[in-house]
Amino acid sequence: MKKLLMLALFIFASLTMTACGGGGDSGEKKLNVMLGSNVVSLDTAQATDLVSFNVISDCIDGLMQLDAQGKAIPAIAESFDVSEDGKTYTFHLRDAKWANGDAVTANDFVFAWRRHCKVSDKYSYVFGSTVACVKNADAVIKGGDEKTLGVSAPDEKTLVVELDAPVSFFPSLMCFPAFYPINENFYNNLDAGTYGTSPETFLSNGAFMLTNYLPGSVNIQLEKNSSYWDAGRIALEKFQYQVVSSSDNALTAFKNGTLDVAQISGNQVEQVKADEKLSGDLKIIPTSLLNYMSFNQDPKNHHAGALSNTNLRLAISNAIDRESLAENYAMGGARATYTAVPIDFAPNVNTGKYFSEDQKQFADVVAFDVGKARSFLEDAKAELGKDNFELNLIYSNDSGDTVVKVVQAIKSQVEKNLPGVTINLQPMPKAEYLNNVTSNNYDLAVTNWSPDYDDPMSFLTLWTTEGSEIAEHWSNAEYDSLIEACTTGDLAGKYDERWDAMLQAEKILLDNAVIAPLYTSSRSMLISDKVEGIEFHSIAVEQVLKSVTMK
Amino acid sequence: MKKYIAKRILMSLLTLFLIIFVLFLLIRIMPGDPFSVERMSAEMILQKREELGLNKPVLVQFVDYLKLLASGSFGNGTALYNGAPIKPILMKCLETSFKIGGLSIIFGSVVGLLIGIVAALNRGKFLDGLCTVVSILGVCIPSYVFMIFLQYSFAHKIPFFPYFFDPSQYLFSSIMPALSLSLFSISTIARFTRNEMVEVMNSDYVKLAEAKGLYGFQLIRTHVLRNALIPIVTVIAPLVVDLLTGAMVIEKIYGISGAGKLMVDAISGQGIDYNYVLALGIVFSSMYIAVMLLLDILYGIIDPRIRLTTKEG
Repeated sequence: MKKLLMLALFIFASLTMTACGGGGDSGEKKLNVMLGSNVVSLDTAQATDLVSFNVISDCIDGLMQLDAQGKAIPAIAESFDVSEDGKTYTFHLRDAKWANGDAVTANDFVFAWRRHCKVSDKYSYVFGSTVACVKNADAVIKGGDEKTLGVSAPDEKTLVVELDAPVSFFPSLMCFPAFYPINENFYNNLDAGTYGTSPETFLSNGAFMLTNYLPGSVNIQLEKNSSYWDAGRIALEKFQYQVVSSSDNALTAFKNGTLDVAQISGNQVEQVKADEKLSGDLKIIPTSLLNYMSFNQDPKNHHAGALSNTNLRLAISNAIDRESLAENYAMGGARATYTAVPIDFAPNVNTGKYFSEDQKQFADVVAFDVGKARSFLEDAKAELGKDNFELNLIYSNDSGDTVVKVVQAIKSQVEKNLPGVTINLQPMPKAEYLNNVTSNNYDLAVTNWSPDYDDPMSFLTLWTTEGSEIAEHWSNAEYDSLIEACTTGDLAGKYDERWDAMLQAEKILLDNAVIAPLYTSSRSMLISDKVEGIEFHSIAVEQVLKSVTMK
Repeated sequence: MKKYIAKRILMSLLTLFLIIFVLFLLIRIMPGDPFSVERMSAEMILQKREELGLNKPVLVQFVDYLKLLASGSFGNGTALYNGAPIKPILMKCLETSFKIGGLSIIFGSVVGLLIGIVAALNRGKFLDGLCTVVSILGVCIPSYVFMIFLQYSFAHKIPFFPYFFDPSQYLFSSIMPALSLSLFSISTIARFTRNEMVEVMNSDYVKLAEAKGLYGFQLIRTHVLRNALIPIVTVIAPLVVDLLTGAMVIEKIYGISGAGKLMVDAISGQGIDYNYVLALGIVFSSMYIAVMLLLDILYGIIDPRIRLTTKEG
């Protein structure tokens, strides 16, 4: 027994010793970047979230990429030509290589795009007629023959894409990970379903390669891909992503130097600003995440469809003090928003002005004006023959406490400014919330939307009759026909007319108070002064690390 | 002995089968399904249900699942990680949890036994009291609280250990979670060892041995410890499984991609992943059953009396 004990002690001691020895290596400092949640998938056909898109775009280059200012510049495509009618794009590919030595060919794109449409997952719609308008995409997504998809490779270095209608933002769309290539041979040699589940089953043609990854893993390690076509630009040899879901933990980890780049929540910003050591590292990054209140307008709704009354909706929308909401409750650089398309999003290529630059343009229907709100309410009361309205506001309470504070503020503002309106707050887990929203079981919901591509249409298509899963149950023939004209109809190729039509559509939306826009979010980032050159974008890929240098 | 072992193995297999059956039913009764996720239309859900065979009768599904298991596979995920094959991912996660758990078992049993022995030998004295306080504290403090304490003290205030688990410094970053995990087993083992030893030391045969002139370590080793060990082994065995199968909260706090975290993801991630929950449940329960089986056989070796009684019976 004595010997046994001694042996066990010895084993333990030697384990601890070697372990301490291992600690000595930590002198070599590598960049440690926080991710707010797990990577959903590294397969471009299945990824649905910004975190996944980030990691994918670290490893894979598409035809185009975003430069520091967010403009689309060539990546795998060296150049491209557009036909006169704007319906055919010809991309000329450069000599780029996959990490296994294969050349990146036009066929890799054809394969990936056909596969994406065939798989028909949550993001396949970006190929279809509401976004990219790739020829026959809608039919293929619905189960048609994928060979009919309007993409072809006449030779190894030429990719021809045919569209059903001209799409002015098509080149910038090519930065979106859904349009990235996959090496066909590599893919076909894998066991079914294993693509992108480990460093061995995922092939880079981009700046970095995975060295440690497992689906759902909280620590992802990457290193520079020396065969990257633009390897000269990459200064970063190695870095890792650390998934940290709690922002308190993220702040602590940033303080002790574990994380070099961290995202904190809006209400931590004040605390950080007050801290001498940290305040210099704080950066507020504007995003295009629109937070809005959705009104369920189904007349069959269980509260006797009161919200199908436009005046009641207008009353609520005008009773909300958005400035106070953004500054005191959402915080962290949130900007009050009075348009259905968020602030600082989708610049006009001719004027350079953002689509929603003028926040006052709908001031007669979206503003904070208690007097007007009350008169809307009086109209609603007369029309509905009711004096009291009790409405349920549902929201998901497992995605941070910001939304909790926001809905409480909305409740108190609306109840104070609109006598007779009562709002019941109903917090619930995200899955249940989504279930209620999609199954039409709510009155009011606070929700948000982040654009998939750099065009107002990324928002405006949400409210067509066939719109998104969050159905406001609002239908307007004029609105639908305007949107149709702008996507596949006769306005698709006319930039200025299309622009005006979209503004017109937005006006219909807000005149009818289909939604109540609230605020546009910002990201509050802490970035160590050792790190330079992170590029932030509000569409497609949130952050790009290709130009990062470490001091 | 052979008959005894054969009988035990047969019982174990039957238990495992029952567990799989009950698990399989329970998961399907549970509220929620693999499809409570964003951006899924009713059509897509129907199509997925058919692909996964979830529209068949439950018993047919169960038979299909048994066939799958017999072919040595756990199938593919139903919600998690886009339906990738489960086995390689599960193996990686188990490996991580095993390594940390292994470390904590070594630490827990060695320290636990030592504290227990010291306390028993100093029964009623100051050291005994101290050991009792330590072991009560150990049982009372949840391991994840201790983990947070360690993380805050020795990774944040005094930045010696990594603040998050770092796979490139495997052993080094395993120390804090392993220590926290072993807290409970140290206390349990220490308390048991002390009580068992005190009881054995008070027994007639030890008194007789003492009277015969045996003393010191020889007496403890040959008479006290060996007899006290049997109940202790009973306690250690399930602890081993607990430690090996990962700790959900600690893995979450410290950022370890292990089996505990996988279980949490499978249940609370994007929809419930039936197959992951099943696979993890089967692995955990087979480990439990295997350890218990081993234990029964070990009893026979440690204590010949057990072997003899079963032979007679």
